[in-house]
Amino acid sequence: MKITIDGIVCEAQKGEMLLQIARRNNIFIPTLCHSDALPGLGSCRLCMAEVMDRGRRSVVASCIYPVKGEIEVFTHSDKIKSIRRNLLMLLYARAPEDETINKLRKEYGVPDNIRFSGDIEEHCILCGLCVKACEELGSSAISTINRGVTKKVATPYDEPSSQCIGCGACAYVCPTNAIKIEENDGERTIWNKTFQLVRCERCGKPFATREQLEYSNKKLGTDCGEALCEVCKKAVVGEKLKDIYERTT
Amino acid sequence: MMSKTVYVCCGTGCLANNSMEVYKELKRLIEKYEVDAEVKTTVKATGCNGLCEKGPLVKIQPDDICYRKVKAKDAEEIVTKTLLNGEIIDRLLIFDITKGKKVTSHRDTDFYKSQKKIALRNIGEIDPANIDDYIERGGYEALRKMLSQMAPEEVISEIEKSGLRGRGGGGFPTGRKWRQCDSIDSYPKYIICNGDEGDPGAFMDRSIMEGDPNTVIEGMTICAYSIKSNNGFIYIRDEYSLALKNMDAAIRQAKERGFLGKNIMGSGFDFDIQIVRGGGAFVCGESTALMQSIEGNVGEPRAKYIHSVEKGLWGQPTVLNNVETWANVPEIIFKGSEWFNSIGTDTSKGTKVFSLVGKVKNTGLVEIPMGTTLRELVFKIGGGIIGNKKFKAVQSGGPSGGCIPESLLDLPVDFDTLKKAGSMMGSGGIIVMDERTCMVDVARYYLDFLSEESCGKCVACREGIKRMLEILTDICSGKGTVEDLVLLEDLCHTVGEASLCGLGKTAPNPVLTTLKYFRDEYLAHINEKRCPAGVCPIKEVRA
Amino acid sequence: MFEKYPKEQRYTLSILQDLQKEYNYIPKEKLIELSEHLGIPLSKLYSMATFYKALSLTPKGKNIIKVCDGTACHIRSSRSLLDEIQNTLGIKPGETTKDGKFSLETVNCLGSCAIAPVMVINDKYYGKLTSSMVREILKEYGGADDE
Repeated sequence: MKITIDGIVCEAQKGEMLLQIARRNNIFIPTLCHSDALPGLGSCRLCMAEVMDRGRRSVVASCIYPVKGEIEVFTHSDKIKSIRRNLLMLLYARAPEDETINKLRKEYGVPDNIRFSGDIEEHCILCGLCVKACEELGSSAISTINRGVTKKVATPYDEPSSQCIGCGACAYVCPTNAIKIEENDGERTIWNKTFQLVRCERCGKPFATREQLEYSNKKLGTDCGEALCEVCKKAVVGEKLKDIYERTT
Repeated sequence: MMSKTVYVCCGTGCLANNSMEVYKELKRLIEKYEVDAEVKTTVKATGCNGLCEKGPLVKIQPDDICYRKVKAKDAEEIVTKTLLNGEIIDRLLIFDITKGKKVTSHRDTDFYKSQKKIALRNIGEIDPANIDDYIERGGYEALRKMLSQMAPEEVISEIEKSGLRGRGGGGFPTGRKWRQCDSIDSYPKYIICNGDEGDPGAFMDRSIMEGDPNTVIEGMTICAYSIKSNNGFIYIRDEYSLALKNMDAAIRQAKERGFLGKNIMGSGFDFDIQIVRGGGAFVCGESTALMQSIEGNVGEPRAKYIHSVEKGLWGQPTVLNNVETWANVPEIIFKGSEWFNSIGTDTSKGTKVFSLVGKVKNTGLVEIPMGTTLRELVFKIGGGIIGNKKFKAVQSGGPSGGCIPESLLDLPVDFDTLKKAGSMMGSGGIIVMDERTCMVDVARYYLDFLSEESCGKCVACREGIKRMLEILTDICSGKGTVEDLVLLEDLCHTVGEASLCGLGKTAPNPVLTTLKYFRDEYLAHINEKRCPAGVCPIKEVRA
Repeated sequence: MFEKYPKEQRYTLSILQDLQKEYNYIPKEKLIELSEHLGIPLSKLYSMATFYKALSLTPKGKNIIKVCDGTACHIRSSRSLLDEIQNTLGIKPGETTKDGKFSLETVNCLGSCAIAPVMVINDKYYGKLTSSMVREILKEYGGADDE
């Protein structure tokens, strides 16, 4: 099946998300709440695009819009640009000091003096990626609390969660660095909970929480042997491959 | 002497005016006097009569006498005079404002005369707690007819031909929805009744669930048969305690009689209905959020790029209709699509139930053929504005709808005309506003409501509504500027286009329509620091 | 109390509502217990408990007063009813009296617009209210006098 995005003919599978097709064809659509590792959330709305389907024009969120037929797509029409500009203004009003937001804001020509003001400490745009990541990894330590304008992300009762393994996946997927993760003296603090970090058995660098290692051991159903950081793990694998290569040749 | 039946309205409105006491007192006195007089009388608690404002209402059949504002102490007189001697008690009669005189029967009032009852056909005429009353008036005959004479496919065609469109607001053709769901080869399939009525000013669904719960059950069962579903859910708003109670009793009774459950009326077809109590979230009136809620999640909507008829509840094909839509179904099957199709306008068939409230003389539930003009609704049925004030606007469709000015009052009420005027049918709340209502304040009121009720998932709705509300609050307190109006309109378009679900997409309507039809009021607030209706607390700012 | 329902996620909301009814709020230990019982993460239950207005994480009063703030009530000055209750009981919407007797809430349209403005105490509806009527009604519940 073929669809047209901004005049470019693209090959598409039925049911594939529009954003995915665009990215594959090097057509840039801005996103904040998108991660390739997670299902689309459709919460930041920056990926809105205009779709012409059998003579009907509509505005869709490309990250969650499954392509069903041969459509024509416009990702940078005047209407879309105006929508994005306003959304970025709203995001900027919410998180005025955030770096990511400010970079996008400038790209879309939103002035820095807008009518609305927001909390300079605020970085979270409530995209929900952190909650989704935590859920997909199996912990579900955090969730959205309340609704409407008072919505926020937190652990239950704002207390350290027994479910949290301190893996930091939430902070890793966060598009605006809103989740604070502190590391010093072999300790990691996240969501009001402090974890002891395990040192890499090769290089001695603290790299993961004990809970995190226990969790992945349990999940894989085996003891993974040596506790190694990512760098050393790669090095070990490399050495093993080299070994095999040398032996077989 | 013919036996008489006394109906005491026990809808929520009348209950609040102590109708239960009236009911008990009448019952006691009738038992007491029955020995002396040869009048067989029964008292029945009924669902809402519509004219809630004049409650408690008491009707005596077959004489067709209707008393309003009845108190327990009037019971003695009603029994001794009216029931035993056929005497009419003048003091308790309804005064018809438009006629300027008292009328014996509620049917003689203009309020009732222009109405045509399909969805409300039994409301106020039967005891909702007694399935026999429903059966007596032809209830479950449509089901019987269908099971004995119609193939599932014929049922769908019949609904398609009738032209019935969803009464929940959007007006999607009901038959097409059923057809689409039927065409998906995946089972189980589910049937849902949306009874999470939340629009401020709308209470038709509550009245139907309270006053005629069996019609909803019958409607759902008919659909279930046509698309081969065995499970249904009725999602009822948590605050509707009487509706929950009556619906629960009706389901139990329908099962006992074999209209629901296993092997319905000996046909071999099984269908069961469960009630789900809502959790108190307006957004759950949105179909996808409602399904999330039934599944045991937070009620956040999802995008509708894949329709619920394909992937709905638990990812299975689902038909969801609202209470009023279901209430129309048995009548269409029983009387035929041609009959239904002959009522209404070209594109909107049948009738629509409205709750007429606000600053009109007659308030309550009305059911009128599609195509009736707003003017008729407000001035004839509603009897005009209270206290001879000047009419200003009607608000239809709740927070998703808009305000319609005097100049458009001759528009016929149907799905498409209201949409063209920038409003929408919505679930059918009609709120009449007079010169003392400030239109900027009305727009602010709805956004305030939505800022609390938005699920908060998407940026457009959550942040957009918040900032629009900020602008409107400023205008209301005399701090707005002309530039604000430009920004406000710009935000309206973004929120309307970019929001994830219907709540956000329609949120700008109250603002856009008031800006379009009552711009001068906005300008008075901004330029002259004056609220023409005298509602907004603007004076303090000037001083 | 959980046993009334099958162990399925779809009954979460019903169980939470039953808890709310039983305790007038959802106690923390019960939420944790329910999480273990259903095998649903606590965060998810907490999210629901804060999303739905029928649920509350702090104890509610013995009598729950709901004042309707639907459009019809709004334009027939439901505000003045709220003011009266605030004056008499000394609580704002969302608050509970110190003696635990009353909680005050505003609710969305209750669909009783024809008898606006409306107030509901527990499950009883009161319509066409005025400030002085509110005072009398509160007295019936032992509200106005002992202040």
